[in-house]
Amino acid sequence: MEPAEAEFLAEQELVTIVPSFSMDRVHLIGGDLGPFNPGLPVEVPVWLAINLKQRQKCRLVPPEWMDVEKLEEMRDQERKEDTFTPMPSPYYMELTKLLLNYASDNIPKADEIRTLVKDTWDTRMAKLRLSADSFVRQQEAHAKLDNLTLMEINTIGTFLTQALDHMYKLRTNLQPAHSSQSQDF
Amino acid sequence: MSEAYFPVGPGLGPEENFLSLDDILMSQEKLPGRAESSLPRLAFALGQGAAGGSGDSIPEGSKLEIPMWLAKGLHDSKRRIISVELPKIYKEAWRTVFSADANVVDLHKMGPYYYSFGSQLLNFDNPENPEIAQTILQTFISRFRRIMDSSQNAYNEDTSMLVARLDELERALFRAGQKGLNDFQCWEKGQASQITVSSLVQNYGKRKFTDMDG
Repeated sequence: MEPAEAEFLAEQELVTIVPSFSMDRVHLIGGDLGPFNPGLPVEVPVWLAINLKQRQKCRLVPPEWMDVEKLEEMRDQERKEDTFTPMPSPYYMELTKLLLNYASDNIPKADEIRTLVKDTWDTRMAKLRLSADSFVRQQEAHAKLDNLTLMEINTIGTFLTQALDHMYKLRTNLQPAHSSQSQDF
Repeated sequence: MSEAYFPVGPGLGPEENFLSLDDILMSQEKLPGRAESSLPRLAFALGQGAAGGSGDSIPEGSKLEIPMWLAKGLHDSKRRIISVELPKIYKEAWRTVFSADANVVDLHKMGPYYYSFGSQLLNFDNPENPEIAQTILQTFISRFRRIMDSSQNAYNEDTSMLVARLDELERALFRAGQKGLNDFQCWEKGQASQITVSSLVQNYGKRKFTDMDG
């Protein structure tokens, strides 16, 4: 899976906007989009929020986790723990990129937020690599990692599965050779 | 799923993958061996041309360098035709080097197909086979960390220094890691939504309209 596909899946997440137009309830196949009244906050999927913002028809309200103190706390906790801490959203990386690219004027301290999220990402990737290395070194049969997000899995996925494939094949070499299948008539 | 071409990887077990280019190139690597019985009229094929005074038969017991595909074909358990020896990097001395620290070895120089060739060697009955298999596995495991770190952290740099000491299997892994990294960085910069020319079509070159008529 590519990062663009993960971003597509992330766009389904809900975010709050304050529209500047009015419209009745819209019925779409995926669900309803509630009535829009100017000045009243309403929850919509990110894809619609970005679209409306680009047409200058709304103002985005940053999600409550996208706040400098909360992100600092999250980053420090991530650095302290050896395992992965739960992330405020399973798509935190994609949402950060989308919201900060298209709506940075609605989000206070956008640059600091970007840096904090990047720091957390780097810490998590380092932990992931450490875990992959110990997995390979001890030749475990399976591992369980909680609280990983799709983007992180994608970035390391191809490499890790190929390496584990090779390791598996080399490991079956250790078994005593199968009896040769010759046919003697 | 955006790839247009999925190459067949090397079969790392006792059998090669017929369609794998890596395996085909690997089986051309040479093994030292000896002729167990006299081989008439094969002197020219096995490179003994000028030496044999009696013309073109290979005397019994003479040393040969045979490619792996030929060695596998001529080898049988009664060992009438040829016998093979292990190349030196799979022998005891080098095995201790690998177990001491596998990261310092230049696997590209030692035969760019260390892992596949080693797996094929296990086909020949040899009392040292379990140790060889174990050494190959342990070498892979110890070098894994370095490949992972270097491939996931080298963005937009010249990577020739990093891959110089890797064998072909490790280079393929390195490229996979680089691709993961590049895809992520490219997405983060926003280039993922730009339409680019497909790699398959890029080399076609532009043909002038008049060429198509002629």
